[in-house]
Amino acid sequence: MSELLIKNGYVIDPLNDIHGEIMDIAVRDGRIVESVGNAADIIDAHGMLTLPGGIDSHTHICGTKVNFGRYMSPEDMRAGRTTRKGDMHATSGFSVPTTYGNSYRYSRMGYTTLLEGAMAPMEARHTHEEFQYTPLQDCMANTLFDGNWQALEAIGNGDIKRLAGVLAWYLTASKGFAVKLTNPGGTEAWGFGNDVSCINDKIEHFNVSPREIITGMIEANEMLNLPHSVHLHCNNLGKPGNYLCTLDTYNSIPDLNEKRQSLYSTHVQFHSYGGTSWHDFCSKAEDIARSVNNKPQIVIDSGQVMFGKTTTMTADGPMEFNLYRLYHNKWSNHDVELETGSGIIPVLYRRKNLVNAVMWAIGLELALLVDSPWQCILATDNPNGAPFVKYPEVMALLMSKKYRDAEFATVDPATESRVSLPALDRELDWEEIAIATRAAQAKALGLVDYGKGHLGIGADADIAIYPIDVSSTDPTTDYETIINGFSTTDYTIKLGHVVSRKGTCSIDNSNRTFWVRPRVPDNYDMNHDPAFIDCFNKYYSMRMANYPVQEEYAVRNICIETEATL
Amino acid sequence: MRIIEDMVCPFCGCLCDDVILTIENDMIIAADNCCTVGNAKFLGKKRLKSPIIKKDGVWEQTGYDEAIQYTVDTLLDADRPLMFGWSGTHGEAQCIGIHMNELIGGVIDSTTSVCHGPSILAIQEVGHPGCTLGQVKNRADLIIYWGCNPVEGHPRHMSRYTVYADGYFLQNSFKERKVIVVDVRETETAGIADEFVRVKPGGDFAVISALRAIIRGKGDIIPESVAGVSREQLVRVAELCKTCKFGALFFGLGLTMVKGKYKNISNAIELVDELNRHTKFTLTPMRGHWNVYGSNEVFTWMTGYPYAVDFCRGVAFYNPGETSAIDILARKECDACLVVASDPGAHFPRACVEHMKDIPTIVIDPFQTLTTTVADLQIPVAVTGIDAEGTAYRMDGIPLKVKKALDSNYPSDTEILSKMYEKMLEVQWQ
Amino acid sequence: MKVIMEVRERHRPNLPIEAECIVPKNFVGPERTFYVWKGNKKLDIRDVFHIRRDGHANSVDKVEIIIRGDSSHIKRIGEYMDGGRITIEGDIGMHCGNFMSDGVIEIMGSADSWLGREMNGGKIICHGDAADYVGSGYRGEKRGMKGGTIEIMGDVGDFAGETLAGGEIVIHGDAGDMPGVDMKDGILVIRGDCSRACGNMTGGTCTVLGTVHDMLPTFRNEGTEQRGEHVLTKFSGDHISRGLGTLYINNFKYMD
Repeated sequence: MSELLIKNGYVIDPLNDIHGEIMDIAVRDGRIVESVGNAADIIDAHGMLTLPGGIDSHTHICGTKVNFGRYMSPEDMRAGRTTRKGDMHATSGFSVPTTYGNSYRYSRMGYTTLLEGAMAPMEARHTHEEFQYTPLQDCMANTLFDGNWQALEAIGNGDIKRLAGVLAWYLTASKGFAVKLTNPGGTEAWGFGNDVSCINDKIEHFNVSPREIITGMIEANEMLNLPHSVHLHCNNLGKPGNYLCTLDTYNSIPDLNEKRQSLYSTHVQFHSYGGTSWHDFCSKAEDIARSVNNKPQIVIDSGQVMFGKTTTMTADGPMEFNLYRLYHNKWSNHDVELETGSGIIPVLYRRKNLVNAVMWAIGLELALLVDSPWQCILATDNPNGAPFVKYPEVMALLMSKKYRDAEFATVDPATESRVSLPALDRELDWEEIAIATRAAQAKALGLVDYGKGHLGIGADADIAIYPIDVSSTDPTTDYETIINGFSTTDYTIKLGHVVSRKGTCSIDNSNRTFWVRPRVPDNYDMNHDPAFIDCFNKYYSMRMANYPVQEEYAVRNICIETEATL
Repeated sequence: MRIIEDMVCPFCGCLCDDVILTIENDMIIAADNCCTVGNAKFLGKKRLKSPIIKKDGVWEQTGYDEAIQYTVDTLLDADRPLMFGWSGTHGEAQCIGIHMNELIGGVIDSTTSVCHGPSILAIQEVGHPGCTLGQVKNRADLIIYWGCNPVEGHPRHMSRYTVYADGYFLQNSFKERKVIVVDVRETETAGIADEFVRVKPGGDFAVISALRAIIRGKGDIIPESVAGVSREQLVRVAELCKTCKFGALFFGLGLTMVKGKYKNISNAIELVDELNRHTKFTLTPMRGHWNVYGSNEVFTWMTGYPYAVDFCRGVAFYNPGETSAIDILARKECDACLVVASDPGAHFPRACVEHMKDIPTIVIDPFQTLTTTVADLQIPVAVTGIDAEGTAYRMDGIPLKVKKALDSNYPSDTEILSKMYEKMLEVQWQ
Repeated sequence: MKVIMEVRERHRPNLPIEAECIVPKNFVGPERTFYVWKGNKKLDIRDVFHIRRDGHANSVDKVEIIIRGDSSHIKRIGEYMDGGRITIEGDIGMHCGNFMSDGVIEIMGSADSWLGREMNGGKIICHGDAADYVGSGYRGEKRGMKGGTIEIMGDVGDFAGETLAGGEIVIHGDAGDMPGVDMKDGILVIRGDCSRACGNMTGGTCTVLGTVHDMLPTFRNEGTEQRGEHVLTKFSGDHISRGLGTLYINNFKYMD
């Protein structure tokens, strides 16, 4: 039995209606409890902001595509190298660090749970291998279905129950956590070098439109009673004028779940563009935010862009090819048979580049214009908008108009006519930041009941203690304090163990993998479905028996079993 | 008698996973669906019974514990140990190897540096437009083999993934697919080509450049003949590439290990980039050792670099040509060498092998090889895919679990390396 | 002020020594302790060099470092050098003058690979030969040397001036294969022969006063031009990309 008592922290725990109270938190064997004995270890958190462990609900940290980003970028690797020290292994990399680099750097920022945004099911084993080397966070992965032939076929036939059966099989086989759609339909079209231009385009051969894919998937997702909703990367990412496509998508989203959203729309900054070309490119964050404010069934993450070098990586193959044609930098692409695609290119977001400055402003506008922080999650789509180590700067920008104005003064002056950011006075408060960086994620992912994102009795003892004295810090002016305070915790506690102390990490090895196993009736169990098996045998280059991720790839795992309503 | 289906073949980068093994009396007696080389591997050779150590020039048997201790002492004692090989073992063992190397401050490299290292250097310059092999199987109507001879090196590549494989979007795969073979000599693979392009040795870069220029509409500057290839043929090949629905370029050591090395590959990649403006085109290196790509994947997520990683200064430093095994050995820049699951004694230049003879060299391998002859100690281990299991990555990045067919008394690479690593950690804490 | 550093004899002389601390700015002001690395062992610099300091310097320009003895396996000397002078009496190991921005390095013998890698300014003179990658870039980086001058009196290996993006490299002898490959800008002069010059170049100027063997077929012959005392053939290219570079060549042979 191990016991820990965190004394006198300034606690914000939005899910439990604790809005900033000086209180103690008791921990026993990795869980939060009412009280502990006198022998418990004590942490004095006096004068320190104490929050549930941070959660990133959309990041790219593990798997084939991420590793290819590392593989092709020795120049990025040399930008951030540390030696082996104490328990800590050597790390390399800035925008796509090694797994240890990711884990240590997230941990020092107080993050204890991460969701890998995109995993091709056929390559899932790779993602899970890397999770094993991400020792300080619980991890889970979205399974990609945007171009899944068996799913597209079921949708084309209007058989949503069969679609649910297909989703259940692949989620289980890949040990995935949620259904991810990246440019639905577009990645299949990219198999022959094509793309879709809006949600009503029918993709060749399968004769289904992105709209049908999205709505069908949402329906099937809810039939499976999964913790998370469909997780969508909309079509047309990064194209001027794409906000209309995004609004059109939002208008087709039904409200099917009482506990959470029916759609998680990710990195929305990249989908909120007005104009007809890069010449009249402008922000449409107001339109997007208005739509979200009217639709409780939608939660978004902002996909904030921050200036500097980074690497873009997504399953959206055609989009990355367009970026390559724009930047002429190195370009990688990796299409996955019967399933999805992916692309990678390095980018540099420059303050003095008008397009980049507008992108930067749009992310902030979304976070400020969406009324409820429960509906707008803070993320950079790491590393696409910026490496996650920039989160503290994003928090400071959202908390301080003064800081925003100071930054705005350094960007291309023409930005002012394309965005509304300078006119926005809203400054997020401590609680709103706590929601947008952990509580909203836990709720959106459906993990509150599994002990994530809060400090109630029975919750996982994942706790971040920041050296920020709320009583003496005015976030609207002391933005340096905010940035420094959120960059390095005094203590990051994961399942009751201190895993990072002022940035020095220790071995933990209690990291777990969360995955889902929806149970479907026999007639929807694809393991025995002749058509499914036949397609597998004929068109995959891997045997069906060798496809599912074996148990040993998720050494410590939490399997969330659901009962499908078919 | 026992039959096991869907076994993964631990021979080449194809990682065929449809092998059927027949087991009798704890022996594999048949391997169906396998090519001849895979078959030879499954049906096995004579293996060492226990570790052997060379004392005063004579081999003696020794115990595993002694062998492990000897290795630990030797590596900890060295100023610049080299840990080479890794392509013939599973990923879990590679991970421990990296941790070990990081701890002792050595250089770790895989056989990549003598096969597709140049491909990686090129990818690091210009990226990699690729795909999984099933994507080629289902869609490609044009296949190019450049500087490789799959008939010999990857015997089932054509039947499983390309020329002869049935594909979703092709009515009659064999008839609908065009095949182009580019090589300096008329290989067996060239025999099935619709178009065989014979290039003078060292002329690949110029030929690729000429194709790029033609595709960019600058064909007028191309001379009548480029490195033995007529302009007429170049124009024909360029047209085939531009007008296909899905083209797939595969290349081997005939492009990576000849004059110009990685610049040939970066040129080929940019040719494929260019073709993607006209149609769909992908490129895949024909990786040799069954898990050499896995070593690159593991090295990358653990250290940030795919091979040739120097940890002497504590941080990872990467510079093939300087930190690659062949260069280090030829320049006598290491003072101890651990070889895991590969045979540099058979493949490295003489100067390298000479230096291995001069310094303490330890081999962890199931079989006696040419490297054994220059080593001081060999530790026999189980064979992944036969009596050991673990993860491997196919040439296109697909991860597979390589299963074991038999139980044996041999420890796996993972077990041996774990014991070494634990002992090293103990020393470090003291 | 002179700092004379004489390389001591050492066990296993082939094991490289990394000595990026040997750079003039480190010898300004009061004497400090420095370390070098032999593989994974950190050594006091005096274990590897016998050091004699003559005088005292309070600005970098006053510092001259003289390296004596067998320095052919000493790497990274003059890394990030920003002024002063280093004279190497014999041969020098890899990565001499990495990232250098000012000052002078003079090598009386030959230099190993990556001489002046990613150099930004200053001057390197090498009286002997230099191995591969003179004035090149780093793996994966698009731009190599951006400024300064490198002059090699002898021959050089392959890939000289790879990804050259500024500054000038002058080679008095022959160059190996693919000098100026992926060159973006800057000036490369080869007074001897070479093969396959400037593949995939997108900018800059390369002059070869000898013969280019295996001349690449994707450069456009723009006719002859008087360049100083020579009449040279001018080529534009490389036309596999934007073709904004210029080659001036005395003789050339295609591989046909």
